[in-house]
Amino acid sequence: MGTFESKGAMRRTAPPEASVMNGTEGKYSKLKALQALIGSLFSGKSDAGESLGNEENKTFWKKQKSKIQYSIYKVLLVTLYLVYGCYRYCQYEWNKMKIRMLNIIYNPSNTPQLIRQDVTKLEKIPKRLAAILEMKSESHVGGGSQGLMNDGSEIVCWTVSAGIKHLVLYDYDGVLKKNVQDFRKDIRNKLSKYFGTSHIPKYAVRIPHLNKIYFNDKDSSSTENHKVAIEISLLSNRDGRETIVDLTRTMADLCASKELKLGDITMSLVDKELVHLVGPEPDLLLYFGPCLDLQGFPPWHIRLTELHWEEDNHDVIYSVFIRGLQKYATCKINVGK
Amino acid sequence: MKLPNVFRSRFVDYATRRNKSTKLNAITNYLVEKSKLYIVWLQELKISIKLYQKLQNICIAVLSTGPVPEHVSFIMDGNRRYAKKSGLVVKKGHEAGGLTLLSLCYACKKIGVSCVSAYAFSIENFNRSPQEVDILMTLFGSKLDEFAKRAVNFQDPLYGSRLRIVGDISLVSKDLKTKIENAEEVTKDGKDFTLYICFPYTSRNDIFHAMCDLIAKCQNQTLESKNLTIPLLTEDMYLDNFSNKCDLLIRTSGHMRLSDYMLWQVHENADIVFTSTLWPDFDFTKLYVMILKWSFFTTLQRYSERGVTLKDRILFNTPFINRSRPIGPSSVYDSLPKPPIAMSITGETDS
Repeated sequence: MGTFESKGAMRRTAPPEASVMNGTEGKYSKLKALQALIGSLFSGKSDAGESLGNEENKTFWKKQKSKIQYSIYKVLLVTLYLVYGCYRYCQYEWNKMKIRMLNIIYNPSNTPQLIRQDVTKLEKIPKRLAAILEMKSESHVGGGSQGLMNDGSEIVCWTVSAGIKHLVLYDYDGVLKKNVQDFRKDIRNKLSKYFGTSHIPKYAVRIPHLNKIYFNDKDSSSTENHKVAIEISLLSNRDGRETIVDLTRTMADLCASKELKLGDITMSLVDKELVHLVGPEPDLLLYFGPCLDLQGFPPWHIRLTELHWEEDNHDVIYSVFIRGLQKYATCKINVGK
Repeated sequence: MKLPNVFRSRFVDYATRRNKSTKLNAITNYLVEKSKLYIVWLQELKISIKLYQKLQNICIAVLSTGPVPEHVSFIMDGNRRYAKKSGLVVKKGHEAGGLTLLSLCYACKKIGVSCVSAYAFSIENFNRSPQEVDILMTLFGSKLDEFAKRAVNFQDPLYGSRLRIVGDISLVSKDLKTKIENAEEVTKDGKDFTLYICFPYTSRNDIFHAMCDLIAKCQNQTLESKNLTIPLLTEDMYLDNFSNKCDLLIRTSGHMRLSDYMLWQVHENADIVFTSTLWPDFDFTKLYVMILKWSFFTTLQRYSERGVTLKDRILFNTPFINRSRPIGPSSVYDSLPKPPIAMSITGETDS
């Protein structure tokens, strides 16, 4: 495979809630949380954050707090934290229970007919679906790149069964892209589980960044019938901000060599180029984590996308998928109005 | 036992409730009406307003001792639905929304948030009816003047804030343009708090405009195209040095999409909160709980990022906490309980 991304060059920073709720087992336990909260009592403002400007401005209506006042407030804050933590814990348990119930209600059990039945009840389905996948740590059940590919191919099967023609799979590090050969095999195996080995729906895997398309399981050289049941695009963080900068660079070069005038650059041109480089905007974005975290999904492409995730859910499960579709069916999009 | 109507009203529909008028109901109704009067009277008393403000100030002071978000952003959605719900004209709904924004700005400023941005008008909003666009424009103009006046009045809580109107200014009328320039000029010295009003703004437009700027710079030879980087592009965006990141994005009225707002800022490392409250109903307590939540999780996150410091180690080596408890993930295999004794049929055990 080509060398297109330096592995793990950047560590992703997740937003606070997502990073805490998503933390692997043992990283955030109840005891740890308690330690952190009580620890925060003794940590001064200086290492609590770089929130600027609080010390400097002493307008006359905003008096500086004295030491005692400060510590009283700090204690009160930690009490509030504790109360909130208890509340959040109850909420967590409640959500978990809800997800368990949903799992019982919506169970596809590898049957495309059941999935199609669920979908036909809906008024409309999205034209393009996107999903953010996350690699769990190797030690976890269903973790590592194998687990990621398994999840990805599972979503492919659901999408095919639902009758959606385009699917975007995003993972931050581009693991799916790197292991595209294995992933294609995985998709094939999963699809044969759903549809039987002799009638596997045709699929195409696209990597926009490398400008490559793979048809089915065979090599891309076979140019037979290219009508496919599903087109899968694999994206990673590389397709986000960096691609936009790349595009700017190319346009600047073109302008410098007088092939393009500055006045010719319009929104629609940029949009066209980005659709070409990354793909069109998805209609529905599913996230299979506990708390919405877009993880650097291409910013240009989430303009009007509906977002769906199930709170405190950690796994790639069918109920998130079908509930996302149900929500999409009822939502109404009115640009600007 | 029969419950008085007031309490049953939640379970029984309106029509059947009306028909039954027992003595008990009459008494309770009377009491409720009376107490309502007292409540209104209490609310109107100066002392209760003062008490409420005192309480609010204490709440703010408590929160500001912990970590606070640097950049909070609002998508102010639901003004029209609010007007419809409470039987007002559309204009009143927008006015209520404007008031909410100002009061929340005040709260944010006191909590220690250094930047608030709000989505006031999208470029797509020009698709609305001309009357409504007109209403929004005039309302915006008057709010602008009000804010500018308050930001320079040193007795006002909003004193010392900077106001910036960002977006595609070329789309607004000339009259409003001078107003905007005026307001920005008057408040430009404010340091501790910045309010960005995104007025004719879409995030795609923002990205596009930054791209164009950079390309123009390359053409003027002030910048070489191979030196283009993400931070450079970010710098050129409308929100100055807050363009890179938005800590907390709040969208009201229940839609689960970003609607072309803050895409660049929010697509990574940002908490996005959706709430079904309509914007004019979004008050201090709701904002407070959201920031508290953010602060809570940030405390936990920072703690684990810092690792266990010496201070913490001393603190937690106190007798009542089990010292031998390993910190960090342990394998599942080790954590399983001990199996029963293994014994073969010949009776040998491996002890």
